[in-house]
Amino acid sequence: MSASMAYAGLWRTCRMLLPRHHVLSPAAIRTQSSASGDLMPWTSLSRPPWPEQPSPYSAEEEQSRHAAVVSTVNQRINLRDFGRLFAVVHFAGRQWKVTGEDLILIENHIEAECGERIRMEKVLLVGAEDFTLIGRPLLGKELVRIEATVIEKTESWPKVHMRFWKRHRFQRKRIIIQPQTVLRINGIELAPRLT
Amino acid sequence: MTSRGTPSRFLRSVLQNGVGRYVCQLKRISIVFSKKAQSSLGARDFIEEGVVDYANKNPGTVVYVSPQPCRVPKIVAEYLNGNVREETITSKTSQQISELLTKLTNQSGLEIIRIRKPFHTDSPSIQGLWHPFTNRPPSIGPLRPQKPDSQ
Repeated sequence: MSASMAYAGLWRTCRMLLPRHHVLSPAAIRTQSSASGDLMPWTSLSRPPWPEQPSPYSAEEEQSRHAAVVSTVNQRINLRDFGRLFAVVHFAGRQWKVTGEDLILIENHIEAECGERIRMEKVLLVGAEDFTLIGRPLLGKELVRIEATVIEKTESWPKVHMRFWKRHRFQRKRIIIQPQTVLRINGIELAPRLT
Repeated sequence: MTSRGTPSRFLRSVLQNGVGRYVCQLKRISIVFSKKAQSSLGARDFIEEGVVDYANKNPGTVVYVSPQPCRVPKIVAEYLNGNVREETITSKTSQQISELLTKLTNQSGLEIIRIRKPFHTDSPSIQGLWHPFTNRPPSIGPLRPQKPDSQ
């Protein structure tokens, strides 16, 4: 307990010594409404716990490097030089890492008949073997297209929900059967247009 | 019982259904009912009204209607993977029987037991599996064969 308090004091003193105005996180740039001039309230998570190292490249060099990476990735996409694609998709309240031809089980009812094709629109990330496209937080709908087919709409196995309090003569038993849907991901398509 | 005491299986589909075309997994439906009993009333109503529409809507499923002297009317559903499911329809209305039939049509024939994982992939890794040496620079330089000391 005392050791953690000492370390907390250490972190705070380190924080006071370091110049604050150099830290320009994107979050700080967005919220500029404080009256005292501070961009964001300073918390223990405002900066990473490792010391900040200035990058060895200058700003122009970094920009040129970024441009080179973007042009390489654009070229790969235009020439369709990638193999199998995977994607992280937000569907039914969960995020799934998804490739072509794989199966997904959703624990609710979907308003689509068996055999119908569905397009999944909330795509967070698409990756191939050599490059990854990360959305902030979503990728555009004209960039990625993920299609799935509804294969099966069943019910789950009868799950037992039992509550029991010992020495109180209390027990309740309930059988829960949930509707389930099985989706088959037909494929992920990447459009040859990247801004 | 608990999930440990009951059998379980992994999520799968019958013969990669859905990769190409979707195929309805229900092969055959037999409606066994009695002509006179009270419990088969709903079954008889369903056969009067709804059976023909159901058969037309599902062209891939064969519907057999067999009136027999039986106490318990039932629906026997056979699937493409060979599994057979029997559901009793005693004292059910025609509407309930049609809902039951749609439920059976939408199922594949796999057993309704605990499914271990809600996903299944045949290619789990695209960028390569992680091992402790991925994304780490080598700490020692490139290894070269050592020159023998005599030369």
